[in-house]
Amino acid sequence: MNALELSGIAVRFGGNEVLKGVDLAVGTGFTGLIGPNGAGKTTVFNVVTGYVRPVAGSVRIAGEPVRAGRPAVVARRGVRRTFQTPRLVAELSVEANVLAGLDAGLPPGGGLADFLGVSRGARTARERARELLDAFGLAARAAEPAGNLPLGSQKIVEVVRALAPRPRIVLLDEPAAGLSAADVDRMVAPLAEIGERDELSILIIEHDLELVSRLCPRVAALHFGRILADGTPAEVLAHPDVVKAYLGAGVATVDS
Amino acid sequence: MTPLALLSGSPRRVAGVAGAVAAALVLLALPGLVNPYLLFQACLVMVTATAGLGLVLIMGWSGQIALSQAGFLGVGAYATTYLVAQGWAWPLAAVTAGLVAALFGVLIGLPATRLRGFYLAIATLAFAELMIRVFVEATPVTGGIAGTAVQAVVLPGIDVDGSRWYLCLAVAAVTTAVVMRIGRVGLGRRLRVVRDAEIAAPSLGVSPMRTKLLAFALSAFIGGIAGALYAQCLSYLTPEIFDMGLLIEFLVIAFLGGVGYVAGPFLGAVVVVVLRDLLQDLGSWQRLVYGLILALAIAFLPRGLASLPARLRARRPAPPAPEPPPVSGQADLTGAAR
Repeated sequence: MNALELSGIAVRFGGNEVLKGVDLAVGTGFTGLIGPNGAGKTTVFNVVTGYVRPVAGSVRIAGEPVRAGRPAVVARRGVRRTFQTPRLVAELSVEANVLAGLDAGLPPGGGLADFLGVSRGARTARERARELLDAFGLAARAAEPAGNLPLGSQKIVEVVRALAPRPRIVLLDEPAAGLSAADVDRMVAPLAEIGERDELSILIIEHDLELVSRLCPRVAALHFGRILADGTPAEVLAHPDVVKAYLGAGVATVDS
Repeated sequence: MTPLALLSGSPRRVAGVAGAVAAALVLLALPGLVNPYLLFQACLVMVTATAGLGLVLIMGWSGQIALSQAGFLGVGAYATTYLVAQGWAWPLAAVTAGLVAALFGVLIGLPATRLRGFYLAIATLAFAELMIRVFVEATPVTGGIAGTAVQAVVLPGIDVDGSRWYLCLAVAAVTTAVVMRIGRVGLGRRLRVVRDAEIAAPSLGVSPMRTKLLAFALSAFIGGIAGALYAQCLSYLTPEIFDMGLLIEFLVIAFLGGVGYVAGPFLGAVVVVVLRDLLQDLGSWQRLVYGLILALAIAFLPRGLASLPARLRARRPAPPAPEPPPVSGQADLTGAAR
């Protein structure tokens, strides 16, 4: 069974048809989602995470249908995401930002135990946060306000926050955009390792096609709200429609 | 931890602990150190700061503009006074009054979860004005325009002034400890996530609406408790006590004291209580002075007096410059193994 299945997803904003019947099945490992700007990639993420209600089609997580419009519920079912620009709390420490990703996992009434300092869940959460920050080379900066970190590190913190609650599905929206080569390596190596170990399904939007080819055994190309091609990176990047979509007739530009 | 272990810490830590102990001793001995008038002013500082701690939760951490705190103070003051008159013990009456205020907090919070910024400010302001109307009309409980007398709490073996002080000090201390703790645990994190990254909150399994409602309920509860204390300072309650004038004082606390920090309301409360005392003969000119102070605070100290130490510290070493985004990510992988 696929971790994530989209069938016939259509999304309209006013008169603008953003997705026109997207079918996509995501299994274990990395899946790349590529396409020119405005293709609807982030909208796919917003549908999966319950932020946007599709006008048609269904989303299934591990075979079970997802009710649209309840993003917090979707997150608690093991779907986590990052954003194109990292959305952290600048004044909170790096560690606290990661812990924010674990708060929803506390048992009901956990808030009071947490307040009194007797929550076992809160203690395991801190251990989990430290373990992950260590894996991503951020342990030394755990106590610093997240706002002090450079953009690249902030994006890594957001990835750590998404991984912290041991989700089944992780959606990364342009994780490498704006990152230095060193930062990309710092993010990708532990991510690949954890992804493999925990059998995560990772869907990744990325404009860096070289990174996508390296990381994702499978790639889907989206253009004007439709999946143009779906297969190995070599197949998809050689697909005539994909080539046309990226280079074609000045209709779309590749980068922002 | 033994006292010796405390002393073995860094000199700064030792100085901090010593300062805190000295401050606590002075506060505990205050009734014997100052005249009843100053002691009364100190009570007002504690009450105002306690109400301000509610603003730390709602305005400082959850980022909601709430102009309803004066209304919650009124609810707490009237409810406690009424319950004590029915024969309830003061602590029970005060906590119940806090719960009643929290209920009102949820009621005002419900529409507030759909409003932001200016609109939220107006909605909460309307609530505060509505409460004045309620205090005027609910004569059986509030005594209406004529008002109602407050029964003073007297602790065994202590005079009225001393009792009032210890009551205010104890409630302010407990509220401070609770609010500081909230700031460090999951709830404090969630409040700030909703403030700074509301879009991300649901993706973390955090419901912005429930978090905002909880913030409204908690800050209203604290406002209600502060109202119970305020009644002890006033000895006679009339509706206009809780009108715009009180609201403006809370704005001074929020913007001059700074509500991002637990210390903010205390700094703001000292300013407000001293000003109230200095300006009491000026009548409506008071508002002009408050307005000027607010304008200056917003222009020059947007995060309040409490933010000064952090700002001064930040000024000394240059802050780390944000990394410029690379022009293209394409070059990243040239050395990568394929």
